[in-house]
Amino acid sequence: MVSDLQYATGPQTVRGWQNRKVEREVLERFRSGDEAAVKAVFERYGGPVFAVSMSILRDRGLAADATQQTFIKAWRASSIYDPERDFGPWIYAIARRTAIDLYRREARRGEAELSEVASMAPGLETVYEVFEVRAALDRLPDDERQVIKLSHFAGFSHVEIATLLGVPLGTVKSRSHRAHARLLQLLSHLEET
Amino acid sequence: MEPDETRAEYLATGSGDPPEPEQLDLIRRVLGRTESWDEPPAEVMEGLLSTVGRESGASAARDAPTRSRRTWMAGVAALVAVLAMGAIVAAVQQPAGTVVAMAGTELAPQAAGRAVVEPVSTGWKISLDLTGLEAAPEGSYYEGWVWSDDGEGVSIGTFHLRGEGEHVVLWSGVPPGSYPWIWVTLQGEGDGPAVSDLVMLKGRAEPAAG
Repeated sequence: MVSDLQYATGPQTVRGWQNRKVEREVLERFRSGDEAAVKAVFERYGGPVFAVSMSILRDRGLAADATQQTFIKAWRASSIYDPERDFGPWIYAIARRTAIDLYRREARRGEAELSEVASMAPGLETVYEVFEVRAALDRLPDDERQVIKLSHFAGFSHVEIATLLGVPLGTVKSRSHRAHARLLQLLSHLEET
Repeated sequence: MEPDETRAEYLATGSGDPPEPEQLDLIRRVLGRTESWDEPPAEVMEGLLSTVGRESGASAARDAPTRSRRTWMAGVAALVAVLAMGAIVAAVQQPAGTVVAMAGTELAPQAAGRAVVEPVSTGWKISLDLTGLEAAPEGSYYEGWVWSDDGEGVSIGTFHLRGEGEHVVLWSGVPPGSYPWIWVTLQGEGDGPAVSDLVMLKGRAEPAAG
């Protein structure tokens, strides 16, 4: 039986997140206000929450406010969070609601204008995909994430990426294939919804 | 080409004929959006920690013990402090993570090394310190893997050792408790993502005693 390796970590180190037992431990510590656990939760979900906020608000300052408010609300509400449920969808729901509330407040607009928020964003159902894709990207190894970013976001070809990174073209191709296969695996649950 | 490979190829290039491409097109669009890559400003986490610290402190103050409980609690607190200090000293004296000895196979009998496995917020960081392993020949590269006892392998990254003093840091998204084996293989560029037969080093993480 090798499933319970003990790690000699420093007293402030929060363990990884890849199984439910570890996730529950981190979230228990998050709930109690443990600084390392709060940092760990932010490092795991800060990017996806910021992505949701940016998708809805289209303004870095407002999105930063919404992100901070989301985590504070999540922490204050964590005593009623059911640890058997996935944390991701739970904090996504808080992030989406917080960003829409902030938009309404800032724009001084009423309920009738919510459709405008939805149309300026890629579509509220798509905002969830933004959250999930960003969360998946944050779980990729650095070298694979870099190739995906240069390819999809910057629009470089594999040849250009090989030149930029100073690695053989074959390395870029295999890295790209591996990265996309891993991304599909991490996002497989999206197709079940 | 297998359906999953067809889908990965379509996700990467937008070409091919996968089943139900709409979801892949959506993911491709999201990958091109600024917010998929943008990082929150550093002050967001600082503000969060400040608020949580302040409100946690206020909560602790509300729960503060009465004077009558304080005398014996002070003694207990002193004992806890001594024990905690001992634990911190012990932790500092430990290596930063689990150390796994790596041994060269018959393909690289002179190779040896160690892997330090450390949990991080997104998985496990695996730092390799290798000796006696030549730089990967042109057209090839080294790839790290973790394997379960059931024979399931997961790639943890690639390197080639062509740079002087190259420091190899890999990443695993699966727990070392379930994937205790670490391998280094020699892979051919363009040979696809499957593990090659050229296993150069192996090591196995052992559960901690106690």
